[in-house]
Amino acid sequence: MFRRAAFMASAAAVIGVAASAYADEPKRGGQLSAIINPEPPILMLGLNQQGPTQAVAGKIYQSLLTYDFDLNPMPSLAREWEVADDGLTYTFHLQEGVTWHDGEAFTAADAVFSLDEFLPETHPRWRQLYRNVASIDAPDDHTLVIELEEPFPAFIMAFETASAPMIPKHLYEGTDYRDNEWNQTPIGTGPFKFEEWNRGSSIHLVRNDDYWKDGKPYLDEIYFEVIPDAASRVTALETQRVHMSRGEDIEFFDVPRVAQLDHLEVTTQGWEMFAPHAWLEFNVREEPISDKRFRQAVMHAIDREFILNNIFFGSGNVATGPISSSTLFYDDNVPEYEYDPDRARELLDEMGLEPDGNGVRTELRLLPIPYGEAWDRLGEYVRQQLIEVGIQTDLEAADAGTWAERVANWDYDMTFNYLYQYGDPAIGVSRSYISDNIQRGTLFTNTMGYENEEVDRLFEEAAREIDPERRQELYTEVQQILVEEVPVGWLIELEFPTIYDVRFENLVTTAIGTNETYDDVYIAE
Amino acid sequence: MKEFWQRFARNRGAVVGLVILIGVIFLALFGPALYPESPWRMTAPPFQPPLEHPGAYFGTDTLGRDIAAGLVHGARVSMLVGLVSTTVALGIGVALGAMAGYFGGVVDNAIMRFVEFFQTIPSVVLAIVLVAVLQPSIESIVIAIAIVSWPPVARLVRGEFLSLRSREFVEAAVIAGQSNARIIFSQILPNTLSPIIVMASLMVATAILLESAISFLGLGDRNLMSWGYMIGAARTVLREAWWMSVFPGVAILLTVLSLNLVGEGLNDALNPRLARKGR
Amino acid sequence: MAILEFVGRRLFWAIFVILGIVILNFILLRLAPGDPAAIMAGQSGATDPEYIAQLRVQFGLDQPLYMQLLTYIRDVAMLDLGMSGRQQVPVIDLIARRLPATLLLTITAYFLSLGLGVLLGVLAARRVGKWQDSVITVLALLAYATPLFWIGLMLILLFSVTLGWLPAYGMRTTGAGLTGMAYVLDILHHLILPMVTLGLFYMAVYARLARASMLEVADQDYIKTAVAKGLPDGRVTRAHMLRNAVLPVISFAGFQAGHLVGGAVLVETVFAWPGIGRLAFDALLQRDYNVLLGVFLFTAIMVIIFNIITDIIYTLVDPRIEVGR
Repeated sequence: MFRRAAFMASAAAVIGVAASAYADEPKRGGQLSAIINPEPPILMLGLNQQGPTQAVAGKIYQSLLTYDFDLNPMPSLAREWEVADDGLTYTFHLQEGVTWHDGEAFTAADAVFSLDEFLPETHPRWRQLYRNVASIDAPDDHTLVIELEEPFPAFIMAFETASAPMIPKHLYEGTDYRDNEWNQTPIGTGPFKFEEWNRGSSIHLVRNDDYWKDGKPYLDEIYFEVIPDAASRVTALETQRVHMSRGEDIEFFDVPRVAQLDHLEVTTQGWEMFAPHAWLEFNVREEPISDKRFRQAVMHAIDREFILNNIFFGSGNVATGPISSSTLFYDDNVPEYEYDPDRARELLDEMGLEPDGNGVRTELRLLPIPYGEAWDRLGEYVRQQLIEVGIQTDLEAADAGTWAERVANWDYDMTFNYLYQYGDPAIGVSRSYISDNIQRGTLFTNTMGYENEEVDRLFEEAAREIDPERRQELYTEVQQILVEEVPVGWLIELEFPTIYDVRFENLVTTAIGTNETYDDVYIAE
Repeated sequence: MKEFWQRFARNRGAVVGLVILIGVIFLALFGPALYPESPWRMTAPPFQPPLEHPGAYFGTDTLGRDIAAGLVHGARVSMLVGLVSTTVALGIGVALGAMAGYFGGVVDNAIMRFVEFFQTIPSVVLAIVLVAVLQPSIESIVIAIAIVSWPPVARLVRGEFLSLRSREFVEAAVIAGQSNARIIFSQILPNTLSPIIVMASLMVATAILLESAISFLGLGDRNLMSWGYMIGAARTVLREAWWMSVFPGVAILLTVLSLNLVGEGLNDALNPRLARKGR
Repeated sequence: MAILEFVGRRLFWAIFVILGIVILNFILLRLAPGDPAAIMAGQSGATDPEYIAQLRVQFGLDQPLYMQLLTYIRDVAMLDLGMSGRQQVPVIDLIARRLPATLLLTITAYFLSLGLGVLLGVLAARRVGKWQDSVITVLALLAYATPLFWIGLMLILLFSVTLGWLPAYGMRTTGAGLTGMAYVLDILHHLILPMVTLGLFYMAVYARLARASMLEVADQDYIKTAVAKGLPDGRVTRAHMLRNAVLPVISFAGFQAGHLVGGAVLVETVFAWPGIGRLAFDALLQRDYNVLLGVFLFTAIMVIIFNIITDIIYTLVDPRIEVGR
């Protein structure tokens, strides 16, 4: 839809790769070793949806759909689907001949169990979507019908592996889901079966010989290697001990160097569904942050181009507003915040925050997110930039536990965060800005405490609107309001690199990237 | 005093160490006057190798901050962490170790149980847990290092005391009716000084290294530029920017080296005289 | 018999020490901000209050704190270390799977550092003031003054990246399907760099301690008497000096058991060595209380055993000290 030229160019590059893939016949056999970091706590995708869990469990479990780079739905366990004109009825026609890893047949009853019983109890994101659901039925073994209470066009985006994984009914029905012994040896329908997990070391998946796509998968086995240290991870790629890294496995500054190695290739595709959006989060309950001029001043004090180039080493784009350019309904027609420290000082003067003898106008705390080097540098950079315009900033070091606790309980002035957008603003964007979602103790809600009735109304209306053009108008309006108000300081649309051994084909083919099933992956000679 | 100095000066390494140490202390005290600006300020383009960019003789880091400014400001932090935590740890360790070794019996038992208690928890792990619990800051790092560093001192002092307690000169002092405090301070303690000094010099170094380890694991004080932090931040760009980790590494190395050399010089200067005087 | 009685008494005390450690650590960990439910929710990318509440129930965090402590002590008394809240695996399994790696690393590093360290220290003391002494002293000082993880990274840079001789990380070649001798050799191959990294630092410490105390002892009258009596130099070293000089080294070596586990956290991080040091650090960051408590308990038991052995050796080396005093 509304995409950037640069993005199209990189898409073209990968299509080139795909074309060459068709040139020679995919070969059976071989093994893929991929980095996994941090180690997933558990591989049962219905119970845990952390990034590393998704990457591993995405080979074991499947969902109804997957999505191409432009976020168009594509078949997975559903071979066809229809959405009724009133936007209320979703009908999925399931693949035939699908079996679970233990040999039982996968039917629509499993799908009903997963979507109507298991996930509403365990899966926070599905639980949000499930609120729109009136009923889920299986008229026959291969048909699934979902009725919604009200139109919710974003619903079609909710069926990738991690959002709605299919769970085997015969193993879980009537059990305590979290205590079920099958959680340790997960059973799915995917092309790879769980074999062994050496905790702290590696996870071993093997080919599912009874996979429902004939002749697939091509690979015999996949190893996920746990390598906690960033420098060791780069070395592992360089020395060809592993074939693939994903997400933030490789620190951003290493990417340009590694990209030049002959045996490695880099792509930033495969994150369109998630569109990680990084921002500087303000606690707008606090003085003087509650004044939007202060937040605008902070935006002017920060050079986001510098952040992109020197901290994230070009892995992304400068964010223009709340919606990422790879998410649906993005609009770049919004106010801009140039890097202009003088303008920042003017705004602060205007607010009456005059500098004292030491040039200090006000004092604030900044709580950096403990997710690695780049985020540490980002904290140091922002701190220094704010000091330059007279905002004395104290960096508070925190580990993951402290950070999660404090942000969830609103005990911060400023922090960093990045959220996934899941394709549609109604799923991944509005949750951060609507006042309904101000919930103490819960991360990834409207933790900053931003309240604006107009914004609430626009997001609600857009979520229910079936006409895409009308939706676009509503989302454009809300983007303009939010960018003017700066409830958070949007920094970067992150593009996480997938770095892989050039011999491997089809590692990134869809909008969910390395979480894909990998039934198409093969080694070219 | 003159004699002491002569003995000390006979150890050429010690003199070199002393010169370096004075240099580091000078840097820690007056260095920030040389670089009055914040070491966090981005003053030049990022990733400048040494001598490349005018003014940044030691190069710049990933954000264009001057390494030289970091080194100068870091001297203060590293010395502070090292000295304060060691002083606290020595105080606790010597007092408890001396009491345990001298009085023996129930006192010894009680104290050693206490020591054991602390030693049964791996010190780096305990330090990290303490920093995590107290929230990472310079104070919590100093406290954590002190808390985990004293038990070896206590053990060492106790061992020395145990061994010396049954020596003739101590027995003689006991028979002569000297008070416990007097025997501890004037008879036994001076004889244990040299290993304590050796250990103290090692401890300051350990404290500086432990601080860098805490930073390495991502739990340092984010507002202070310390050498440990600089290495921690540079380790991932080791191959792209060797200067970022080499210079603070060398700074730590020189400081630790100088402390050890000075410690040895003191040992040479103190040891023979005191050993004889005690008998 | 005296030694048996001594060991018995020490073991009796050890129970109290361990109980104390459990309580102290339990309280300490709960003082840390954040809990495993919040962290796990935080890493899932989306949460709601129900999800966090479910996790808290699952982790047993909905009980009052004193109840959790009492439950934990009761379970430990029955040799049950509980479940890892996060990984849904018994803690004892996690530790059992990780412990061999750490034991292999620390024990080899320990003997490497002790053996070579004392050897070098004695050598330096015997050649005091000569070039051998200078070389050993300078090397020891350098090894001592360099951060452990930095040495590790440098070794990786040299031996893995540049020369390609040794693997940079891990404990075994995954997916190679090695068995028997090849498997053992593969592990040894991986062991070299982490072992040297961990051992180097302590080797320097031992060399310094051994040298210092050798010189100290050499200066004492009875050694001078022995030399004056005309005993050959080598016998003086062995018979008199070494025994006395080794005391501070032993005193240090005893507590090093705990230290090694700490060093192992760093080395295991740099080399991705799948041991309990790294397990403990991850557990701390994830607030996986039971795992961390379990690791503390295990290392505590290890250290207590080491300490008792140290004290026995101490007695054997220096008969002037009576055990248990």
